[in-house]
Amino acid sequence: MTNTRRAGLMLVAPATLFIAIGFLLPVFVLLSGAFRLESGWTLSNFTDFFADPLYREVFFRTFRLGLTVTAVAALLGYATALAINDANPRSKGRLVALLVLPLMISPVARTYAWLVILGRTGFLNVALTSVGLTDEPLRILFTEWAVFIGLLQLFFPLMVLPLISSLENMPRDVIPAARVLGASWLAIFWRIILPLTREGLVVGGTLTFVGSLTAYVTPAILGGSKVLMLETLLYQRVSVANDYASAGVIAVILIAMSVATNVMLKRLATARGGR
Amino acid sequence: MRHAGRALLVVVMLFLVGPFILICLTGLSGGETLAFPPDGLSLRWVIRVFEIESFRDSFALSLTLGIGATLIALILGIPAAYALVRYDVPGADAIRNLLTAPIIVPGIIVGLALLRHLVIPSGLGVTLALFLGHTALLIPYAVRVTAASLQNLRADIEDAAILLGASRIGAFVRVTLPNIKNGIMAAFIIGFITSFNEVPVSLFLTGPGVATLPVDMLLYMEYNYDPSIAALSGLLALMSLGVVLTAERLLGLSRYV
Repeated sequence: MTNTRRAGLMLVAPATLFIAIGFLLPVFVLLSGAFRLESGWTLSNFTDFFADPLYREVFFRTFRLGLTVTAVAALLGYATALAINDANPRSKGRLVALLVLPLMISPVARTYAWLVILGRTGFLNVALTSVGLTDEPLRILFTEWAVFIGLLQLFFPLMVLPLISSLENMPRDVIPAARVLGASWLAIFWRIILPLTREGLVVGGTLTFVGSLTAYVTPAILGGSKVLMLETLLYQRVSVANDYASAGVIAVILIAMSVATNVMLKRLATARGGR
Repeated sequence: MRHAGRALLVVVMLFLVGPFILICLTGLSGGETLAFPPDGLSLRWVIRVFEIESFRDSFALSLTLGIGATLIALILGIPAAYALVRYDVPGADAIRNLLTAPIIVPGIIVGLALLRHLVIPSGLGVTLALFLGHTALLIPYAVRVTAASLQNLRADIEDAAILLGASRIGAFVRVTLPNIKNGIMAAFIIGFITSFNEVPVSLFLTGPGVATLPVDMLLYMEYNYDPSIAALSGLLALMSLGVVLTAERLLGLSRYV
């Protein structure tokens, strides 16, 4: 082994060992626990988990929310990114700053604001009843809607920012050229913008989807025990019932979804980019 | 089309930023419970935040944790980033994947794993596990941001220093390090903010009198429905904005994010 290779190994060793022993090892032991009972290796923790209708509901709800948040964020995100990309450079800089700043603020603070807006005596209900649109306060808080709104606001910047940077890399005149040649807006979006910004969509989509699936703060504050998602269910099972079997199963599901989404979407992005 | 685009931007930005304005106003309420519009304006809940002892303790813990974990992550991450950029490290791809693993593993699993398989069997304190978990979480950021700054720096200025008689370490400390200083400071700020705002890793790592500030806020709001959390949220938002805007002005933080 040459000198620089040895020096390189020595330099990466501390960080690598730290993560391997202090991080991956405990996680690995936890995950393997999901496949064990005192009697030995088994899948019965999983079959028990999915036999419970409440847990199944939480599982499907988590997916449903993840998918709808990602889809709505992508649609709204494209419209927003296109509008920002069209703005003059000065206001563009300001708009991008407005997208980045919320990312630096505590998710607890960001989510708590929705409690103030969506609650029974919150801003929205006060506004709606005072203009006479509703007589009774709307019950939004502790429903899937509240969690959806909270997640959308939390992850929207992570969807839009990669879209903006892919739009910036797109040649400026392809859209005017397509229009001159008579393409409809739908055709322009579907056949030009979408293929050319695929990478940004994949990055933003991964961050939003995995972020929503593994969110804790938003469902905890806005959903409570009525709208459990996988992470809030995990927390509840451990802190209320010491139920490590279900917790292990949820951990395996969460990590599998996170790794699978990351790997799959990375493949998708490079497969297209390679052509 | 232009007008539609502008209208959309106004709605989107209101959706993103509007809630902050509302929460700041709510935090300035003079009333007893959380409501909008607030019952008159006063600073009583802002003052109250500083009087709640558990918030003072958890703020101190989060501050120490944010600074400490980021520093350890940088001390471990800078050499790794340097080796990955400058040297031909055997198994570099595998090492890169390993070093980004903490971003992919959901935080709540990390917290639970550290609690069950480190804190409980070893009897080590929860605080130590917090430092461990946060450091692991921040190493990927430290490596990525430092590696990006190193890639933008010519490797031959270091060779020149060595040719002129500096040792390898001397060349790194006196030539390379000053040139990537801004990148490292940006990594520090990003790391600190990430740790300070982090919830899932810290969620299970609580004990009697030990909780990070965001976890403490979650625990507090389970039993209290007063404007103090709104006041504290507003203060934290202003604090983050202050840090980020200062960093942007001094370092151009956005180049590193």
